[in-house]
Amino acid sequence: MKLSLSNHHQLLLNAIINPDILIQYDSKEWELVLRLARKVKLLGFLAVELERRKLMSTIPVRAVNQLRSSLIRVKKQQQLAFWELDRINWALKSIQIPIIVLKGVAYRLAELPAAEGRFFVDLDILIPKGNLNQVEKILLKEGWKHREISAYDEHYYRAWSHEIPALIHQERETEIDIHHTISPITSKIKIDSCLLIDAAITTQSGHKILNPTDMVLHCAVNLFQNNDLIDNLRDLLDLHDELQFFGRQDPVFWDKLIKRANQLRLGRPLYYGIQYSRLIFQTAIPQNTEQRLMQKPSLILQCIMQQLVPLALFPLHPDKASKRAKFARFLLYIRSHWIRMPFYLLIPHLLYKTLLRFKSGK
Amino acid sequence: MIVEQIPIDQFIAQLSHSGIRVKLGPVNVQIQTKLPQLAKQLHFLYAYYDIVEDEIVDIHAQILPKFSFSNPFSSFIRFTIDGQSPFPPFPTDQALAALEWGINLVIAIRINHLLMFHSAAVERNGFLILLPAWPGSGKTTLCTALIHRGYRLFSDEFGLMDPFSDFFTPIPRLMPLKNQSIQVIRNYLPEVVLGEKIYNTQKGTIAHVRPPRDHILRTNQFVSAKWIIFPKWTANAPLTLEPLPQSEAFLLLASNSFNYEILGESAFRAVTRLIRNCQCYQLIYSDFDSVLALLNKLTDEA
Repeated sequence: MKLSLSNHHQLLLNAIINPDILIQYDSKEWELVLRLARKVKLLGFLAVELERRKLMSTIPVRAVNQLRSSLIRVKKQQQLAFWELDRINWALKSIQIPIIVLKGVAYRLAELPAAEGRFFVDLDILIPKGNLNQVEKILLKEGWKHREISAYDEHYYRAWSHEIPALIHQERETEIDIHHTISPITSKIKIDSCLLIDAAITTQSGHKILNPTDMVLHCAVNLFQNNDLIDNLRDLLDLHDELQFFGRQDPVFWDKLIKRANQLRLGRPLYYGIQYSRLIFQTAIPQNTEQRLMQKPSLILQCIMQQLVPLALFPLHPDKASKRAKFARFLLYIRSHWIRMPFYLLIPHLLYKTLLRFKSGK
Repeated sequence: MIVEQIPIDQFIAQLSHSGIRVKLGPVNVQIQTKLPQLAKQLHFLYAYYDIVEDEIVDIHAQILPKFSFSNPFSSFIRFTIDGQSPFPPFPTDQALAALEWGINLVIAIRINHLLMFHSAAVERNGFLILLPAWPGSGKTTLCTALIHRGYRLFSDEFGLMDPFSDFFTPIPRLMPLKNQSIQVIRNYLPEVVLGEKIYNTQKGTIAHVRPPRDHILRTNQFVSAKWIIFPKWTANAPLTLEPLPQSEAFLLLASNSFNYEILGESAFRAVTRLIRNCQCYQLIYSDFDSVLALLNKLTDEA
């Protein structure tokens, strides 16, 4: 596979892969790269990379101000999410259940290098499905509440989703997403979340997170199964970061990863994950690793995806968005629903959402 | 080069094409719109702002026409920032108000390298008076009066303090006078340059004060604060200026800041230093003459 990117995508990608190059950017390039990075939530990442390299003093002051401003916000959000985790643990300490921290907060707990400047607004946790009602009841009693959502959305969450409607403490602003599995109930991928919970590891701080292979798989599932990939470059960077980090730590990581993916029947999202991480971020993944996966996507599908995925992951040009990229995003939006829901649920769902959009005048 | 030096036709063309890039204190803003009416307002009210050349622009704002399904015979616009609308559409004749609020909103959300107070700020005799107040306290009106009577404008909305050097940065923006304040200022200060009245906005009728030229020219001159005065306009009230205990001033100031919580420890330290280095007062006034005399005396004594 070869990657062909438009100029503004290349400008952003070069900055992510090799932040040293930023000191050569002129003010026009800086302006564009800041807008693009903001769009895909990577200003905090770039800020950390530049600070680590002690390059902040060599770049334009307006860039420094924007990057620092973002990083300060990122740090605050991280602090709030960790505090929410602390409160959750406090509220649930009476019942002995495993609480597995997912996504952003888990990446920080795992000490992934790129997570330091990672923007996250909510706290994601995974608990056994059997404890869901009990946990929800306790949290509602201890001061958390659901945001007001429509009866339809409520039904959507309860019947079809892999998480319950978000909870938020009445005195704070961090949302908690409580998952009971890692992919919607209605999607073709069926995962026994007990396997993930049983294999979870405990960090030095005493929190539970998914083990490295499962963390990678969850990241790939989330990106290529649960989301529409639109502006999700940050999530692919997460995946790259995990693959790079765990691959270096453990010499047999790749074998474990392939074995686990095959066991959980998550070959397809991991196949895409490995391919695009390597293609875009040049991740050091041994050749042909992904060929040992079962359930690889067909060659035709791979060709189509390759036309679409980069155009969705990278942000549109803020001044002149290409029609091709917009169309690719539209197709991937359809795909995301297609693979998330069977046809008989999907059509009424999309009709409802479209009607709602017209009503609100958007 | 400043906006005024661009001929109006060229200005309108540029605004509708690639947009006009102006320096508003510490933020550079690009504005793009095809609305000729808004273009004329901007050419007049933004007359003294510097055109950004060869520098990064921080905020990219657009005012775009918007068709409304529920109200197809009225004309609406939407404010967008890099393609996203942070608030619902406005009637087209309120485009300038939408633009100014939109830019303020983006500034308030994005800037964290400076500690940001919801405050008017003016300079006299080399030091800053911070005038923190909640909406409706008349801070824009007081600020307008002060800057036409020898005080230098920093802002009627944002007190921007560097949390490490403690210097304040001017951000002289258009100042929206509301409702009765418009006539009050016209009567008291006939020399104030005002934009057209904009009716029926969320805050009633507003008219924007154009900041005087020499204030905008001095945007690069930073000063530290010496006075913190919480102003409150009250009809017919006698003029009072009461010292405020530092502890109370601290709480008022911290809760008045847009980003105190986000900055965390550095904000705590900065506000602590600020309070220690300033005289803090609560001000109640009802007429300009007496409040000007009082503030002149206060700032001369120091």
